[in-house]
Amino acid sequence: MRLMRTPKKMDIDITNRCNLRCRYCYHFESSGDAGGDLPAAEWLRFFEELNRCAVTEVTLAGGEPFIREDLKEIIEGIVRNRMRFQILSNGTLIDDDMAVFLAATKRCNYVQVSIDGSMPESHDVMRGKGSFAKALQGLMTLRRHGVHAAVRVTIHRKNVHDLEGIARLLLEDIGILSFGTNSAGAMGLCRKNAEMVQLTTQERVTAMETLLRLTKKYNGRINAMAGPLAEAKGWLEMEQARLEGRESMPNRGHLTGCGCYRQHLAVRADGAITPCTMLSHIELGRINRDDLGEIWRDHDELRTLRERHLIPLSRFSFCEGCPYVNYCTGNCPGLSHTLVGEVNHPSPDACLRKFLADGGRLPDRALLG
Amino acid sequence: MDVKNPIANPLIVLREEFDDWAILFDPDTGNAFGLNPTGVFIWKLLDGRHGTDAIVNRLREEADDVPEDAGEHARQFIESLEKQGLVGYEVQP
Ligand code: SF4
Ligand code: SF4
Repeated sequence: MRLMRTPKKMDIDITNRCNLRCRYCYHFESSGDAGGDLPAAEWLRFFEELNRCAVTEVTLAGGEPFIREDLKEIIEGIVRNRMRFQILSNGTLIDDDMAVFLAATKRCNYVQVSIDGSMPESHDVMRGKGSFAKALQGLMTLRRHGVHAAVRVTIHRKNVHDLEGIARLLLEDIGILSFGTNSAGAMGLCRKNAEMVQLTTQERVTAMETLLRLTKKYNGRINAMAGPLAEAKGWLEMEQARLEGRESMPNRGHLTGCGCYRQHLAVRADGAITPCTMLSHIELGRINRDDLGEIWRDHDELRTLRERHLIPLSRFSFCEGCPYVNYCTGNCPGLSHTLVGEVNHPSPDACLRKFLADGGRLPDRALLG
Repeated sequence: MDVKNPIANPLIVLREEFDDWAILFDPDTGNAFGLNPTGVFIWKLLDGRHGTDAIVNRLREEADDVPEDAGEHARQFIESLEKQGLVGYEVQP
């Protein structure tokens, strides 16, 4: 597989601070939660290198990006260096002044706001009292000023029965075009609060069925890269391949779970360059000390990761005798590292065989629409 | 007589991705345009110091088998870049 000369995009944890402490935050208490924030000057210098590398896009995450008092100065640096940006936010700190500023840059692809409920109860239970109202207010402020606002719904034990209400609120009452879903993963604070947060197998079944039904009802206006909706679609495809007795599926049967490090790299709030925010324990170098292009092209750890897709799943005792072995991707390497301590291993979190063995049931294919 | 030399919009990012192929990225719109190796070669000479004829001459120096009508193609290519706001002209006395 050919490699681009430089990364196309960078995912940057611009701060380690946040005004909330969500019970399923993947950031806090993960290896991404390292050290203090860098001064704006360091980021501005780094953006000049991104410009030289012709990086076109930056994602600002954290922590909560809007907690940085100097965020405008940082964004001006992104704009000056010919890039576009998006911001992942809890939405609670966005005011008119900031929304006007973002709109005026004309470079903001979107601000993603987390909305996890159709009412305060199902959102605030994990994110803290009052956060639902503030997040909604942030979302509306962005919309009022013409900033493209995306919404991410993280599914957990306390909102899994509120999905219908959430879809109605977002797609009908507010009228956003679409929203994304995920579920509380086994990282950061979520691991500590797993009992309270992570869906049981039965709740996972409910989430999959409900989300497929709602996706059909709303003509595909709900999407997912991970979590119950993505799993439902992926697993149904795998099951269909098994039923048809297909020999294999394209790009499956090996550790092909994620190839993001062929497109982008990440930076922790302390300036360490990593392959991805989900693999923030792998330090490839530091900004303004090491050459980004050299890291991208020559770093041994990245080379190893990029060869992951050559490792067959049949090599792992975990997958021995699995009827899905030729149709599976082995899932996210970050989750695998968190759960079994190895990057080059299938992740048990999104393992179809395990889900079925735990009493899970696949949704009806007719729900696929 | 004034000579107008084409000059690349400095805001546009030339992103060389694979081998000699590249994209031109306009950060204000988010639009990207693909460039083949000849396009990349030309883009790099859009510095306000080269007219279209000079660019074609350089192309002939650097590459084998440059077709007869390369000059016309280069002109059309630069015009299409201009229409998309990727290139402007600097007037030289
Ligand atoms: S999930 Fe986001 S909003 Fe919640 S504590 Fe973590 S960084 Fe803050
Ligand atoms: S055991 Fe799980 S991870 Fe391994 S191939 Fe089967 S479904 Fe995939």
